[in-house]
Amino acid sequence: MDTNKILIAADGSENADRAIDYVTDILQGAAGFHIKLLSIEHLPDRDFFADDTAWKEACVKNREELIAFLAHGKERLTKSGIPEKQVQTDYVESCHSPLAEKPDYCSRGTSIALDILHVAKTQGFKTVVIGRRGVSKAEEFMFGSVSNRIIHAGSECTIWVVQ
Amino acid sequence: MTDTVKQILDRLYPDGYMGRFGKVYTDTSDFMRITGGDVIILAGEHYLVLRDEMERSFGVEDPKYWVKRCRHLESGERRILKLVFYETFSLSMGEMKIPCYRSPRKEARILDLVRNDPRFMQGFPAADEAGNNVRVLYVVQGKRLDNWIDDLDVDHPTYFQTHLPGILEKFIVSCQAINDLHKMGEKHGDIRRDHLWVAYESGNYVWIDFDYTFSFHENPFGLDIFGLGGLLLYIVGKGFYSHEEVRQLIDRNRKIPALEPEDFLLVFKNRLANLQKIFPYIPDALNQMLLHFSSGSRVYYETMDEFLQDLTTCLKQVK
Repeated sequence: MDTNKILIAADGSENADRAIDYVTDILQGAAGFHIKLLSIEHLPDRDFFADDTAWKEACVKNREELIAFLAHGKERLTKSGIPEKQVQTDYVESCHSPLAEKPDYCSRGTSIALDILHVAKTQGFKTVVIGRRGVSKAEEFMFGSVSNRIIHAGSECTIWVVQ
Repeated sequence: MTDTVKQILDRLYPDGYMGRFGKVYTDTSDFMRITGGDVIILAGEHYLVLRDEMERSFGVEDPKYWVKRCRHLESGERRILKLVFYETFSLSMGEMKIPCYRSPRKEARILDLVRNDPRFMQGFPAADEAGNNVRVLYVVQGKRLDNWIDDLDVDHPTYFQTHLPGILEKFIVSCQAINDLHKMGEKHGDIRRDHLWVAYESGNYVWIDFDYTFSFHENPFGLDIFGLGGLLLYIVGKGFYSHEEVRQLIDRNRKIPALEPEDFLLVFKNRLANLQKIFPYIPDALNQMLLHFSSGSRVYYETMDEFLQDLTTCLKQVK
């Protein structure tokens, strides 16, 4: 089993920050690990905007923030001693993005958890790390929970849920 | 030069009485100013404003200034105009606050998608001169389903035997309508008791008002499914039951059943979900469906397909 490939789900939140910190702490710059910081693009809902121009502006801002988050996460990992060539970032575009550049794989926007697991499976990551948001039972029912869904659906890899 | 309201009415509505001749509006941006006696022109058609729509809750009427009850002067028929009003607000679901948005473009899009589908209210979007996405709605001639059920003057056992199978059958059609919306990537957004109506003429159920939207990444249709669960609970119970209402319902010869917190809805914790405790003739499968929405549940419905499959089985059992 290829246990030295670690995929960190990075959605720009404090929970993702904690997941990056956890991996940094646990690896202590150890050699031989390949790490990928992964963001799945979740577009701002088009219906929240009066017109497509305003929506597109929000999409651009959203993308810029996530890409900056990925870059910052990579910097933290490499500063801890992990060689730069062993840390990658990946940004999976939404299939509905107005900025899409026809990627090989895009997110349909129905489940971020399943998109993360798809990347893990197709790229051979056997460890997936995700920060827990900490939702109540009612919130999980209504809004869903990415970490819980990954736990339930991720039967082919090891899952680290960072508190 | 645009005609005055009087000139328009003299031409299109000569026999109608109007106490006030207001202004003619081709731009509806300032909807607070538009009131009874004004005329709105959309795509060359004339709509005489009768009054603002009212929302009634807890016996209080709250005007919805962006929704106008109108008469379409070319046909003489009633119409509802929903003017553009962007609103962001928190929807209270029990103790939870859910950020919601009122989206004219979403409702306009769904109106186009469900055109000629009698399971949904009908209408069409029409831009005013300022480009506002106004929705012109045909009035549903009918009654709210919950009021219709409430008005059935029968006890619960009789209701369960006589009325529920027919109601469930039609409710399944309404659930299929929501499933079809989901499959088109859309959600109703505001499924609640007062948004499902019984059409007088056909007796069929009609969904209204789909301008709410919300954004849940991992469970995009969760709120719709939860809304349907609440509606199902109301339909099966012929109302909702709090602790106090259970006490009142049980007659003096019957012991009040022990009710645990997990017997109540997950979100509205004062509504009994475990109806079998007060109506023991409710079949297990139907009660189990209701319990999926309770505090005690470990498993929830994630898709309408799952919900519909169970509901269809339940219908066979109550028939």
